[in-house]
Amino acid sequence: MKRKFPLFLVFIFGILGIIPFLIPHPVVQNTDDFLRNNLLRILAAFALVLGLGSLLKVHMDKIKRKRQNWQYSWILIISFIISSIIGLFGGVAGTGPLPTSIGSFPFDIQTLYENIIVPLGSTMFALLAFFMASASYRAFRARSFEATLLLAASFIVMLGIIPFGDRISHHLPSLAQWIMNVPNVAGQRGILFGVALGTIATALKIILGIERAWLGGGE
Amino acid sequence: MKLTDFLIKLTKIDRRVIYLILAAVVILPLIFPTVERVRVMEPVEKLFNAVDTIPPHKALIIDFDYEPQTQPELEPMGIALLRHAFARHIKVLILSLYVQPLGLAQKALTQVTEEFNSEATSRADSIIYGRDYVFLGWQPPPLIPMLGMGVSITNVYQHDYYGNKTDTLEIMQGIKNYNDIALLVSLSGSSLPKSWVAYSQNRFGVAVAAGVTAVSAADFYQFYQTGQFTGLMTGMKGGAEYEEMVESKLGIKKKRKASEALPSLTYAHLVIIIFIIIGNIGYFIKRRSK
Repeated sequence: MKRKFPLFLVFIFGILGIIPFLIPHPVVQNTDDFLRNNLLRILAAFALVLGLGSLLKVHMDKIKRKRQNWQYSWILIISFIISSIIGLFGGVAGTGPLPTSIGSFPFDIQTLYENIIVPLGSTMFALLAFFMASASYRAFRARSFEATLLLAASFIVMLGIIPFGDRISHHLPSLAQWIMNVPNVAGQRGILFGVALGTIATALKIILGIERAWLGGGE
Repeated sequence: MKLTDFLIKLTKIDRRVIYLILAAVVILPLIFPTVERVRVMEPVEKLFNAVDTIPPHKALIIDFDYEPQTQPELEPMGIALLRHAFARHIKVLILSLYVQPLGLAQKALTQVTEEFNSEATSRADSIIYGRDYVFLGWQPPPLIPMLGMGVSITNVYQHDYYGNKTDTLEIMQGIKNYNDIALLVSLSGSSLPKSWVAYSQNRFGVAVAAGVTAVSAADFYQFYQTGQFTGLMTGMKGGAEYEEMVESKLGIKKKRKASEALPSLTYAHLVIIIFIIIGNIGYFIKRRSK
């Protein structure tokens, strides 16, 4: 029963998810509307609570067992609690019952987001450029015909998307556009067909109960 | 030292030297910004024309779904789109499919509305919340708004980002579902624009366009080629092209963040190309000497 019930639910809701795309009858559409707008939202709320609970559990466990870099888990937990209190009782823009400013120093969610999350996120992503530059210098070699072709295409695209490329030749941006529009699309479309067929096959396997990995590895 | 020895030595440049050079070419143009003019390519021109021809009884949806990581590339696109829509008095519905982008969407909206309202001389000229635009906010999971708005927008978003009941807002009086939407533009660093095509366009026929990061651009051209995307903006250059259109066609002369970032982008690309060439010269010399 412990395994059969989830499989039964997945079968029912998997089929119910497909039918509205095929039958436009109001009864079917209204049922689908109810399932998505009400049931799915309730499930999403539970998933959010489960996710946050799981996150806290993992980090509490890390602190308890003093695993590598356990100190950072404290930062996560403390930040989580503080931002939750500010968000829940102070409101996003400081309009809630909890005061979210000391004098002219605001600490509402929007201010925290703009001054902490945004710079941190941007910094992490900006570092990628340095690694990419270093990696391409060391590894991007014309070792074979295919690699040379890739190298030439990347040069054209890189030059084509910067204004300097247009100054070298007016045809360079158009050539870069052609590479993206034709050879790139040909390759991408082949991959996409493969992915789509694989997705359909996996979805059918899950709906029909053939693929059961999602049930977890336990007994 | 022989030339070949010098070239081989060049292939062993310390990575910190590469980082330093790259940092210099990226940072210096940002400290001393100059606007770089660009040639507008067809995908951006098509998007501009699609927005430009939205009739008064229809609306534009902008899905702000970029996060801080992709903000430098995608925010200028959002700002340029908002400037275009507000200048043409097109009704705009703004939303995000995830929580993170909400703060950034709010920031872009505040900036552009302040720009317009600081120059407005009458109420008709002003950009007024609830009349000209609405910030619908976020409804999880993404599938709900994508499919739900095909039936009823105010049913999916019963309250806006600020807690107002959406069906009481003036802008929403003539907007029921996707039939009243002329175009939906998804600004995202992820695969969300494809999901808009899969769920909203395939099922309800709404026109979709996208603004994506340069690194993910290759994934989206197939949708542009088939016409599933009405237009496409890719990376910093895509944003700069739209800014160029907004300035040249509408005469809006405001700060152009993407265009100002283009010199950094240009020098960074050139440095990377030069380093790849140096690396390859050294590789060929080494291979020949073996």
